[in-house]
Amino acid sequence: MPLPDPDGVPLFAERPEWADVLPLEQYEDVNPIAPIFYTEEYKAATNYFRAIVKAGEKSPRVMELTESVIRQNPAHYSAWQYRYETLTFLLASTTSDSTPKGALPPLLAAELTLMDELAVQFLKTYQVWHHRRLLVSLTKQPSRELALIKRSLEVDSKNYHTWSYRQWLLSSFYGADENGREQDDDDEGETIEAREVWEAELDFVDTMLAQDVRNNSAWHHRFFVVFHSGGTEHEAEKERIFKRELVYAKQSISLAPSNPSAWNYLRGILTHTRTPFATLETFVKPYTVAQKSAGDAEKRDIVDLDNPPPSAEAELPCVQALEFLADIFETQGASEPGKENTEKAVELWKSLANQYDTIRKKYWEYRIREAHHGKEPRT
Amino acid sequence: MEPRPTPIDGFPTPTSKTQAETEAVLIKHIPDPASTSAPPALLKNAHMQFLVRNLIQGFPTRYISQDASQPWLLFWTVQAFSVLQVGLDPGNKQRVIDKIMTWQHPDGGFGGGPGQAAHLLATYASVCALAIVGKPGPKGGWDQIDREKLYNFFMSLKQKDGSFLVAHHSEVDVRGIYCLLTVATLLDIITPELIEGTASFIASCQTYEGGFASASHPFYSHGGTLLPPPAPRPALGEAHGGYTFCCLASWVLLQPYLAEASTPEPPPQIDLKNLLRWLVNMQGIEIELGGFKGRTNKLVDGCYSWWCGGAFALLEALGVGGIQNADSEEVPIDSGPGAGVWDDVDDGLFNRQALQEYILYAGQHPSGGLRDKPPKNADAYHTLYCLSGLSSAQHHVFPSSVRRQQLFDAWKTTDNPQDGLRKKVFGEILSWAEEEGSSHIVGGKENRLNATHPLTNLTITHTEGIASHFYGQKVPPRVLRAKPTADASAA
Repeated sequence: MPLPDPDGVPLFAERPEWADVLPLEQYEDVNPIAPIFYTEEYKAATNYFRAIVKAGEKSPRVMELTESVIRQNPAHYSAWQYRYETLTFLLASTTSDSTPKGALPPLLAAELTLMDELAVQFLKTYQVWHHRRLLVSLTKQPSRELALIKRSLEVDSKNYHTWSYRQWLLSSFYGADENGREQDDDDEGETIEAREVWEAELDFVDTMLAQDVRNNSAWHHRFFVVFHSGGTEHEAEKERIFKRELVYAKQSISLAPSNPSAWNYLRGILTHTRTPFATLETFVKPYTVAQKSAGDAEKRDIVDLDNPPPSAEAELPCVQALEFLADIFETQGASEPGKENTEKAVELWKSLANQYDTIRKKYWEYRIREAHHGKEPRT
Repeated sequence: MEPRPTPIDGFPTPTSKTQAETEAVLIKHIPDPASTSAPPALLKNAHMQFLVRNLIQGFPTRYISQDASQPWLLFWTVQAFSVLQVGLDPGNKQRVIDKIMTWQHPDGGFGGGPGQAAHLLATYASVCALAIVGKPGPKGGWDQIDREKLYNFFMSLKQKDGSFLVAHHSEVDVRGIYCLLTVATLLDIITPELIEGTASFIASCQTYEGGFASASHPFYSHGGTLLPPPAPRPALGEAHGGYTFCCLASWVLLQPYLAEASTPEPPPQIDLKNLLRWLVNMQGIEIELGGFKGRTNKLVDGCYSWWCGGAFALLEALGVGGIQNADSEEVPIDSGPGAGVWDDVDDGLFNRQALQEYILYAGQHPSGGLRDKPPKNADAYHTLYCLSGLSSAQHHVFPSSVRRQQLFDAWKTTDNPQDGLRKKVFGEILSWAEEEGSSHIVGGKENRLNATHPLTNLTITHTEGIASHFYGQKVPPRVLRAKPTADASAA
C-alpha cells in the first residue's frame, strides 16, 4: 500500500481529477541495473509526468504536477522545461481582457511568487535560476530581481548561479549604447533608472567586499561593473575610474596582503588598461620584505594614498607581492642588453620555489627557464 | 615541522575562517612520519565494493536529486571501474547498454532518464558510457545511436554567437559545448557549420583571472536592442575549475578546424600565460595537502584533481609545458629510446606528488568511495573525478607527434568531401599517448591506475575503439617504446 504523503497530500493515483491519466513506468519490462531507490511519492509524480509529456497535454493541472516533481527534485530539467512550455501555452491561450493594463497576467504573477520561494530554497540548482531568466524575459521587469538576488547572496555569498544571474540581468537590460550613453528610450524615466542601477551596483559591491574582502565572486562582479558595463568613451573619465580602482585595490591589499583575489583584480585592471606593472614598484616593495620593526610602524601615520603600507599584523613577505615584483623585473630584463633585472627576477622566483611558495616549485622553475630562453635567440 | 597555515594577516573574514577550519581538519590527515613508515595505500578493494554496490544493488534514496543525471551515475561508475583496471562481465555490460538505450530521445540525443528531454550533458555521459561497455552490431549500442538525429539535435541548440543551449529552453553553458564537441568528435559528426563561431565564444569566457567562466553574454540596451561590438561581452561568473576544463578541452578539440578555417578576421585567441598562472594557483599549499580548489579563495575539493589537475595535459597540446615543448637541449620524448640527455625537467608544471597525497590521505573514505574532503561522505561523482585526477597525476599522457604520424600513415582515404579534415581530427584525438617510464606513483605500483585520455576522460583504448568504429579506420598498434636509458633517467 502506498504510504501517505508527509504533507497530507494524497498521491496522484488517489485523486479523482487524475483518474483519466494512465501513469507511465520508467523502465517497462526491464530490471534496470544501478536503480535509484525512489520514494513512492517521487515515483508516482514522475510516472504521471511521463504520461503527460507523452500525451503532450498542456493544461493548468500540469503546473501542479511539475511543481510536485520540482519540489522533490529541483534538478529535474525536463519538468522545468515542460513547465515553461505549458506556462507560455496557457498564457497565449488565456490573454484575457480582465487583466488591468500594465499588470501581469495572474498566471505569470503566481509563477513569480512561487519562484521567489524556490529560489532561496533550491539556490544551488541551475534550473531555478534559468527559469527566472525565462520569466524575466517574458515580464521585462528586471528591477525587482536585484533585491531578491541580494537576499539570496546573504544566504550564500559565493553562489555561482546567483552571481551569474545578476550579471545576466544587468547585461540583458541595462546596457549603454556605443556612445557610452544609456540607450535613448522614449521613456526618459527608464534611462535614468539604468544609470542609477549601475551606481547602486558599485555600492552593492563595496558592501559585499566590506563584509569579506576575500570574496572572489564580489571582486569578479566589481570588474564586471567597472570595466564591462559598457563604460565610457571619455578618456578623462576612464582615467578617473582607473585611478579610483587602483586606490581601491591597493587599500584592500594593505588591509590583508595575502589575498589572491585583490592581487588578481589589481593585475586585471593593469592588463585591461595596458598599464605596466612597473608603475607599482614603489607600492609593492614593502610587501616583499619581512615586517619592519615597531619604530618603522610609526611612520605609517604618514598617509600616502598612492602607496598604502602593509598593516602592522601583515604576515610578510607576501607571496603575491614577490610574484608581482618578479614580473616587473622580468619585463625590464627582457628589453635590456645586460641581464641584471632578469637575474633579480630569478632570485625572487628561487625564493618562491624554495621558501615562500614551495608547493608551486615546478611552476617557478618553469618561469626561470622561460625567462632565460627569452633572452637568447631561438634557433 | 608543521606546515604553515594560510596567512590571515590579523584580518579574519568569513573566507579565512572557513579556510582555517578546513586546514585544521586536513592537517590531521597528514601522517606523522615518526609513527608510520607505511606508504599511503589506494583502497582499491573498498572502492570496488562501493562501485559494485551502486551498480548492482542501486543508489540510495538521496540520489533522487540525480534522477535527471542517470547517464552520469552510470558513466561515473563504469569509468571508475576502467580507471581501476577492471572490466564488467558481458552480462552486466549488456544490462548497462540496454539501460542507456532507453534514454535516447525519439528526436535525437540522450536524456537524463527514460522520457526525459534530450540534453547535451546526458548525451556525453551516455555516449562515453557506451564507449566503455558497447560494441558494434545489434544490441551493442554503438550502431543504435541515431547520428543523423543527434546532429540535428545539436544544430537545433546552436545560437548565433557560436554557443549552444544545453537543452531546449535551457541555459547556455560551456559544459554543454565540451560535451557536444567530445561526442561529435568521437562519432564523426562534426562539420564546419556546426562549430562556426564556437571558438570565439569559448575565448570570450576567459576572465581577467585567467580561468574561464560558465558563459559570456552580450549587452542589451534598456530598450531591448542588442548592442553590437565594441560593446563589451562580459563573462557570466568568475573563473572556475570545471568551466576552465571544459573551455580548454573545447579549445583543443577545435584546433584542427581553426587551422583549416580561412576567415578574413584574425582567429580568436586565449591568454595561455594567464591561464597557466591561474591553474597553478588553484593548487592548495602543503597544509591543504596540495589538493586543488575550483575558484580563488575557495576550499580544496577532490573533484578539481581532474578539472584543474587534468587541465595541465591539455595545455601541452597548446605548447605549454611538456618536454616535447621544451625549448632546450633535451631530446624530445618522441625521438626514440635512449638517445640523448634525460633530464627530470619535465614531470609537470604542478606538484603531482602533493596532489596524489591529497587524494590518498584525504580523498578516500575509509569505508570505500572517494570524496570532496573529510569528513564528507563518498559519492559517485567524486569517486570518478578523484580517481581520474589521481591517474593524471601518476601518468604523463601527451600529444605524440610520432603517434599522430602513424595514424596519418594508416589512414584509408575515403571519398567523403571532408576526408582531409576528418583525417586530421582522427589523428589529433588519437595522438595522445602515455610516456613510457615516466609514471610517478606515490605509494608504489600497487596504487597504479589506468591512464585516461586527457580530452575524453575515457581510457585511451576505449577512445580508440569507438573512434575507429565511427571513422571506419583501423588504428595501428601502439609500439611500446623502451624506457630512457638508466643513466639518463637517474636525474
